[in-house]
Amino acid sequence: MKNPLYLLVFCALIISSCTGQSDRTDESALITGEGIHIEGTWARPATEGRMSATYFLITNFEDEPDTLIGVQSDVAQLVEIHESYQMEGDMMGMREVPQLEIPAQSTVRLQQGGLHVMLIQLTRTLSDGDTFELTLNFANSEDITIEIPARL
Amino acid sequence: MMKNSITLLLMFLMAISLSNCSEPALDDYGDVRFELTDQNGETVIFPDDFEGSPVVMGFIYTHCPDICSFITANVGNVYKELDNPSDVQFVLVTFDPERDTPEVLKNYAAAFDMDREPFQFLTGSADVIDQFMQRVSVRTQESFSRDLENGDRAYFLNHSDKVLLIDQNSKLIFDYGGSMTPVSIIIEDLEKLRS
Repeated sequence: MKNPLYLLVFCALIISSCTGQSDRTDESALITGEGIHIEGTWARPATEGRMSATYFLITNFEDEPDTLIGVQSDVAQLVEIHESYQMEGDMMGMREVPQLEIPAQSTVRLQQGGLHVMLIQLTRTLSDGDTFELTLNFANSEDITIEIPARL
Repeated sequence: MMKNSITLLLMFLMAISLSNCSEPALDDYGDVRFELTDQNGETVIFPDDFEGSPVVMGFIYTHCPDICSFITANVGNVYKELDNPSDVQFVLVTFDPERDTPEVLKNYAAAFDMDREPFQFLTGSADVIDQFMQRVSVRTQESFSRDLENGDRAYFLNHSDKVLLIDQNSKLIFDYGGSMTPVSIIIEDLEKLRS
């Protein structure tokens, strides 16, 4: 009676071991990824002819820094990298960021109240749930085109 | 007779003083009257039409893609996270009346799912908005502009980042960084006014 029980435990250990291996492999792939990775994309809904902004995280897995040198989309007449910043007192300002360096092995966060891609004069209305494409040009990496959802 | 009058006067002043002890006011808008227009084209008088319940008021312009959408969403989030918000008024006032007509504000509000009660998006004549912004200490200055393909010129503004909490008697109770202040803090202060 003991032999089948040992066999069952052995099989369970093997299965458990295989599952663990799979998780570790995924985690390892995340840490030692390659190139540029974009995640957490979203944009603020807005009507045609108005302004919006889009936000995401850019991770550079390479050992060398890279630079975001351009952004394009047909969703707006002008698409630019901008940064909101605190001026003196309670004043908030906004300035263009012609190029955005992504340091080696680092993530740069585009978020509300800071860096963002500005969509000037939307060519169509972006309602909650709509999506559009944005192409990012890098100095050292291939262009990346991402799909961005609009959400509240 | 004289002594009684002085005693009554002292009691009256003490009563006023005690009534203000709960929340010291930063300003009192009871002495002003601004004629504004909401997103439906209806005339609204500040502060007369707002007396009787607390007001959460933010300041925006609709060509602002980042900070103002943050401020607008914050005001909307105070409403969403407030328990039974029916006795609170939520107001956003533009400091760019030239471009922010009632129709533009209505479309902007709809994009945030806020073109409905109890949200009001207000504009007005350039003179009135200028005086109003001076009174609530909201500053603006043109930052930069872009020429668009269709010949239009899009200009952008540096501006105060502000949300105000005004009590039911038109007194300014709190003045927050509009995009920076956690919604929970505004709600906590608002609950003190409602209790």
